[in-house]
Amino acid sequence: MKILLAEDDFVTRKFMTNFLSKYGECDVTVDGMEAVDAFMMALEMEEPYDLVCLDIMMPVMDGYQALMGIRNLEKERGIAPENAVKVIMATALNDEKNVKMAFDLGCTIYSGKPIDEARFEQALQKLGLIE
Amino acid sequence: MEAKKETKELKKQKYVTFMSGKEYFGLKIECVNEIIVAQEITAIPETEDYIKGLINLRGKIIPVIDVRLRFKQEPFEYNDRTCIIVITVQNTVVGLIVEKIAEVVEIDEENLLPSPTIGKLEKTQKDRYVYAIGKVGDSVKLLLDPEKLLHDDMKTLESAYEDDAKDDSNE
Amino acid sequence: MAEDFSVEGMLDMYLFENRQLLEKLQETVLDQKDADCFDEDAINEIFRTMHTIKGSSGIMMFDEITEVSHKLEDIFYFIRESHPENVPHVELVEHVLEVADFINSEMDKLEEGGTADGSAKEIVANLNTFLASLKGENKEEIIKENVHQAPTQFYIAPMATASSHFFRIFIRYAPDTIMANVHAYKIVFALKDLAEDLLHYPEDIISDESSGDYILENGFKILLQAQCDMEKLQEIIQEGYEITKVEMEEITPQIFQMGLDAFGISADSIIDLDSSVEDITKKEKDQAGAIAPGMFVLPPQGQEAKPAEKKEFAPGDFVIESKGPGKSKKLAKDKATKQDKTSYISVDVKKMDQLMDLIGELVISQSVVLQNQDLKIPGLRLDNFNKAAGQMVKISTDLQNVIMSMRMVPLTNTFQKMNRIVFDVSRKLGKDIEFQMIGDATEVDKNIIEHISDPLMHLVRNAVDHGIETTEEREAKGKKQKGKVTLSARTESGKVWIGVTDNGKGLDRKKILEKAREHELLDPTRLDSSYSDKEVYQLITLPGFSTNEQVTEYSGRGVGMDVVVSNLQAIGGTLEIDSTPGEGSQMLLKIPLTLAIIDGIVMQVGSNTFVIETGAVKEFINIREDSVIQKPNKEEFVMIRGEGYPLLRLGDWYGIADCETDVQKGMIVMVEADKECFCLFVDKLIGKQEIVVKPIPDYIKKVQGLTGCTQLGDGRIALILDMAALLEE
Repeated sequence: MKILLAEDDFVTRKFMTNFLSKYGECDVTVDGMEAVDAFMMALEMEEPYDLVCLDIMMPVMDGYQALMGIRNLEKERGIAPENAVKVIMATALNDEKNVKMAFDLGCTIYSGKPIDEARFEQALQKLGLIE
Repeated sequence: MEAKKETKELKKQKYVTFMSGKEYFGLKIECVNEIIVAQEITAIPETEDYIKGLINLRGKIIPVIDVRLRFKQEPFEYNDRTCIIVITVQNTVVGLIVEKIAEVVEIDEENLLPSPTIGKLEKTQKDRYVYAIGKVGDSVKLLLDPEKLLHDDMKTLESAYEDDAKDDSNE
Repeated sequence: MAEDFSVEGMLDMYLFENRQLLEKLQETVLDQKDADCFDEDAINEIFRTMHTIKGSSGIMMFDEITEVSHKLEDIFYFIRESHPENVPHVELVEHVLEVADFINSEMDKLEEGGTADGSAKEIVANLNTFLASLKGENKEEIIKENVHQAPTQFYIAPMATASSHFFRIFIRYAPDTIMANVHAYKIVFALKDLAEDLLHYPEDIISDESSGDYILENGFKILLQAQCDMEKLQEIIQEGYEITKVEMEEITPQIFQMGLDAFGISADSIIDLDSSVEDITKKEKDQAGAIAPGMFVLPPQGQEAKPAEKKEFAPGDFVIESKGPGKSKKLAKDKATKQDKTSYISVDVKKMDQLMDLIGELVISQSVVLQNQDLKIPGLRLDNFNKAAGQMVKISTDLQNVIMSMRMVPLTNTFQKMNRIVFDVSRKLGKDIEFQMIGDATEVDKNIIEHISDPLMHLVRNAVDHGIETTEEREAKGKKQKGKVTLSARTESGKVWIGVTDNGKGLDRKKILEKAREHELLDPTRLDSSYSDKEVYQLITLPGFSTNEQVTEYSGRGVGMDVVVSNLQAIGGTLEIDSTPGEGSQMLLKIPLTLAIIDGIVMQVGSNTFVIETGAVKEFINIREDSVIQKPNKEEFVMIRGEGYPLLRLGDWYGIADCETDVQKGMIVMVEADKECFCLFVDKLIGKQEIVVKPIPDYIKKVQGLTGCTQLGDGRIALILDMAALLEE
């Protein structure tokens, strides 16, 4: 599985990279803009990501914008919703308003921080990303 | 080297000291909310003698206890030097009536000594409340454990002795 | 942050919404439990409710809840689409309730910070069988399948938010520290590993060199959310250098939400450590303010509010009704509730309590003003003052009434719960029982509702279990087969009367007396016949009494009634028992409407001031010395208008020094408690006034007869006497 991570905070980034590497090859970016660029690059090289993990509060381009960017890119390329990349928003913003917004924008998993690993795995299973 | 010196300083503790009888006692400053002058106390019937009653602290009603009576010493007349130290111990707010407030002192940890006792006979009622003594210059302050000061029932008594349970088990 | 302060976590929203849905669902189901089948609205409602719960549980990944709600949704989908005949209605009702119970119990676990780990296998299997049997009977129909969409989006709650702690940390550096901002950053860095959320001020400590000076001057402030305890933090922060002082305090999430504003107060109230206490107390004395004795340490505001009265109220929200109580019973349709919502606003219970407290203070300071000594100077013309004062009293009374009404909650929910209990217990015992509710819209202080739920539940169970006979017994007695339990509520003279009535066999006087003799609860010198019915019935409320030989699953082991009574007494309520053999019994609970402000008579004994609730006082009498008669056992009574009333001298009773002993100089107060009249002897009456009831601090052990204390107009404290409690053994 190919994973893309966008996270601006170094400590969290380190932790998340470690955590996600269990499931596959993990590319790391530090803001939303880089993440969208990386996503586009992967699409062009026809090696798209299976999972994108976005922090919400990031400099340059935040998680919501990045998510929108990714979904727009997919739409433009005519990628069907069922083939769209699975996007995880991981953030400490945990109120209903943010969660709703993320879901409306097309996020697949919304995970509060710190991440509950067991439940995270469970969700990945449900999505058919891991066995 | 410098770091070492600093950490030493950290071990300093501030105590509010007051006089009761001839001795000076100290309470850790964290548990002291404020000090107020003595005011009218409403007695409550059928309570222990050292519980003097209730006072009205800006609309909050709190119980007050007389430290001298708590130590089973002679009662004293309240005058205009009499103060009430308001302390919080585990969410309980209680006022302590004391004869005279002295000052706030800072005591280095190395100047704290366990309270000296002779054998086990010295474990008098009074001594139970003092967990250590602190040296300030030439004088000595008896440091009080506020929790033991407030609670007298068997349960807290037991836990009060837990620290030296080994000594006591022989008795 | 301002607009965000109603932040509701996802889980909170999930629980809140689903609880409401399930409550409505239960109401609907119980409403129609005696019908032959559900009507269309009910079927739609149950279907929709299950669909919604399935959806939200799917997102939250509560698989078992998703599974059961899914199954039940299937059943109702089938019923809705295929209209099968002969649906076993009672069985269906049970299935729905079973599912609701399961979901509720799982949500209980979640609410307490646990995981929804219950297994729904059995329920699902039952539902499957049930659905299969429904379908089996309707083979000829074209069965449309309910199409399911597996959830495609998931929400993962942050790891155990419940165990997160919130801290406020204040650090001061030695004045000669170089680059304090870097030192501060070291701490921030060390905390990052632990932190779930971390805010600090000054914010820019890396690039802004002047922040170092700011830190030296004002200290460094941190707000931290982490799972560790304070000890761990102390360990980390002690490791820093040049630190002269660390203050650490655990705070509530609410304060944390306030962000760095939470520091506004505490930063200014740093203990004045430079001057000695004597200096400060001297300063205080110099200040003229004699009323409010000065303080030398200002507790941070958040802390002051926290420790007191913490356990008084369960967390939760009040819903304030701004419209009339005409609540529509329709199910809140998914999103269409917007309009309704505008007429309600959720308020934190704590804020309500705070408001209540403030109004209490207002009432007190009002009496301080109106009864001020300065006004008593002879010859003052107070006409205008009195007029203005009258207006003020009116407004503050209105204010009190409004806040009281905000705290009022209808008994509907509590009564609904009882409906469920009657249903469950009667089904299990094979009794056919009709449940009637009268006056369930009666409103009671929120605080009181919490206290009566358990006693009521017990009384209702008792009525169904012990009160109502079995169907056979009823038939044999020529009674209607169907038993009836009535729950009624009304308000009268400042009290709520709640009755639990059954038309069962009634209490057995003989059996009760026998049992009481057996347990040595009776006075051996008294004959059975000398006990009045009322007295006999009261016996069952004594500890360790049970008339039923057989302990059944539903009505405990006779520890119940005395617990019921003591629960009621805790909120100043009483229990009256009435019964007619063969026709049934009635348990009547009398509970004060509110606990907070009472009308009281203030009186003095020695140097003590006491208050008695006005309702308990019958009259004040001056008597001659010869009307007091002393019995040989030193008990005294007073002859008034040819009747004798026991006399209790309050001063002697509480051992108060300097109290009046001459009955002609003092005052006799005739009071009533538990239908008994007796006389109290006090020194003098002070007056009648509204009293704000405050609890006696926990630290002081319970004194018989005293239920609280209050602050009088002049700032003195008075003790509140409860007549019923005074009479207790």
